[in-house]
Amino acid sequence: MFKWLGALLVAATLSLGVAMPTFAADKEKKIALQISDGSGETQTLILNVANNLQMHYGVDNVKIEIVAFGPGLRLLFKDNDNGNRIAALSQNGVRFSACQNTVQGMAKVLGHPPALNKQAIPVSAGIARIVELTEQGYTLVRP
Amino acid sequence: MNYIKRSIIAMACAGAMITTVNTAQAANWLMLQGTEPSGTAARANVWGFVQLDYQADTSEPNSTGGYIPPKLLGPDLNTQHAFNVSRARIGVRGAALPLDDKVNYFILLEGGNNGITSIDGSSVKFTDASITLNHIPGARVRGGLFKYPGAEEGLQAIHVFDYINFTEVSNQLLLERFPNRVHPGTNPAPCDPTVTPACNLNRFDSPVGAFRDVGVQLFDAFKFGNLELSYSAMAGNGNGLNFSDNNDKLDTYLYLSTEWLFGSGDGPFREGLKFFVWTQNGERLFDGNNDGTYESYDRDRAGLGIKFLKKPWRFTAEYMKGEGMIWNGPDKATWALVPAGDLNPAHASNGLLAEGTGWYAEGGIYIPGTNFQVDLRYDYYARLDGSQYQLDWKAWTLGLQYHFNRKARVTFNYAMRDVNATSFAAGAGPNANLDGIEDRYGIQLTTIF
Repeated sequence: MFKWLGALLVAATLSLGVAMPTFAADKEKKIALQISDGSGETQTLILNVANNLQMHYGVDNVKIEIVAFGPGLRLLFKDNDNGNRIAALSQNGVRFSACQNTVQGMAKVLGHPPALNKQAIPVSAGIARIVELTEQGYTLVRP
Repeated sequence: MNYIKRSIIAMACAGAMITTVNTAQAANWLMLQGTEPSGTAARANVWGFVQLDYQADTSEPNSTGGYIPPKLLGPDLNTQHAFNVSRARIGVRGAALPLDDKVNYFILLEGGNNGITSIDGSSVKFTDASITLNHIPGARVRGGLFKYPGAEEGLQAIHVFDYINFTEVSNQLLLERFPNRVHPGTNPAPCDPTVTPACNLNRFDSPVGAFRDVGVQLFDAFKFGNLELSYSAMAGNGNGLNFSDNNDKLDTYLYLSTEWLFGSGDGPFREGLKFFVWTQNGERLFDGNNDGTYESYDRDRAGLGIKFLKKPWRFTAEYMKGEGMIWNGPDKATWALVPAGDLNPAHASNGLLAEGTGWYAEGGIYIPGTNFQVDLRYDYYARLDGSQYQLDWKAWTLGLQYHFNRKARVTFNYAMRDVNATSFAAGAGPNANLDGIEDRYGIQLTTIF
């Protein structure tokens, strides 16, 4: 009797143990947002998209990473007009990745590396970071 | 104008006492027109606007059937009813190298029919051509041709101006007309083109100043929470849209404003309560007594005002004062109202050494839930203030606007005007011509791209 109950308990625990992560994965969304052009309209749009995703799914139910490379790196310039919005999104968990290949390329043009927003997290290559994120189950969106 | 100078000093001291300084990103007229948004500016942003209007003047002719300029429509002054393409401007602005947007530029070309283009026969004219350097924190540098810091009515962007015509005080006291280099000998008798087609009531050979100058400006804006302080100091040729100087003295401009920001709206429609004060000082060369040599005449202007915007309400009030170079109308090339003042700059009718004072108050409401806006304005201008030939200009203007969308609107104005020479009886002296100045109405279509 006790063996039978023990087996049932183990089976239930295992099934629960398998089911719980599956449930969590279904609930949490992972979105990678790519910005690679420098227009002000695209910057506004990508910040709006990040904000809308958080409102739709809930801040705790969606992981968002904005990957900036090429001309899109202007979004993460220190004096960018969107600094307050970037800070607010960062406080809500949005991660901002800054392509270092782009930084080096811009340094050749400017004579010095561009000053970046303190929320910017350096990644060696923006496009490689996007590949990594998609391999981790992120959905890539380029607004 | 000591009260203006005291106000500027007081505001400057108040600003200096605040130690925590953040560079403001939000826009006011100095920032909107002089800078591009950091990190987002395009290499070349093409923009512009078109304004088409129909205006009608209901004024009566004088006893001999002739008309004076205030009874006719500008800039041509040959009719009382006309369609006009009053403004057609196209420009480019941006950051030439977006990676380093500390260098901005602004170019604007005017092709409409107005005092900028019609007077010297040019069909197209630059109104703005400037470069701004944003490298020094707290001291941006703008050079070239652009709007000088000053009265709100002149400094604001014309395509969002809520009326078809300027107030008389801005039009006559601030919108500068430049004296011809050669004295015409005497005030020519008015030559009315409605009677004689070959006539022209406009005796000037340079375009209006358009509230602009060629020079260098230091400026910036600073935010302290919801409070924004702005300053501007400029030196310019004092020769309007003309690229060269016409004397060896520079005009100087000072401007200070403080604004409490309500946190909503943006660009030209940012909501807040703003106080501002300004002065400009310069000299003009003119052969005022026809002795064959130029004399130098002071041209000083100053003013202060308030602007409130919190939709659905808007309110603006300004007071302005001027000393010297008081314009007396497009037909008064010697700046004198009567022949006796032609050769005597100090004559009571001559504007060269005279004063002018005026003010206006206006307000509007954006009717909630609709695309309609209602505006009302009262303006007063005392030309040759305090002299025997003082002329009082008073007008009530009722406005109605319908916004098709954020970029297109139609404006209807009805202005009730009253002009008279205060020291003369009806029909006597200048009133012989001023009597009969009546209402003016118009409709204007504006689109911005």
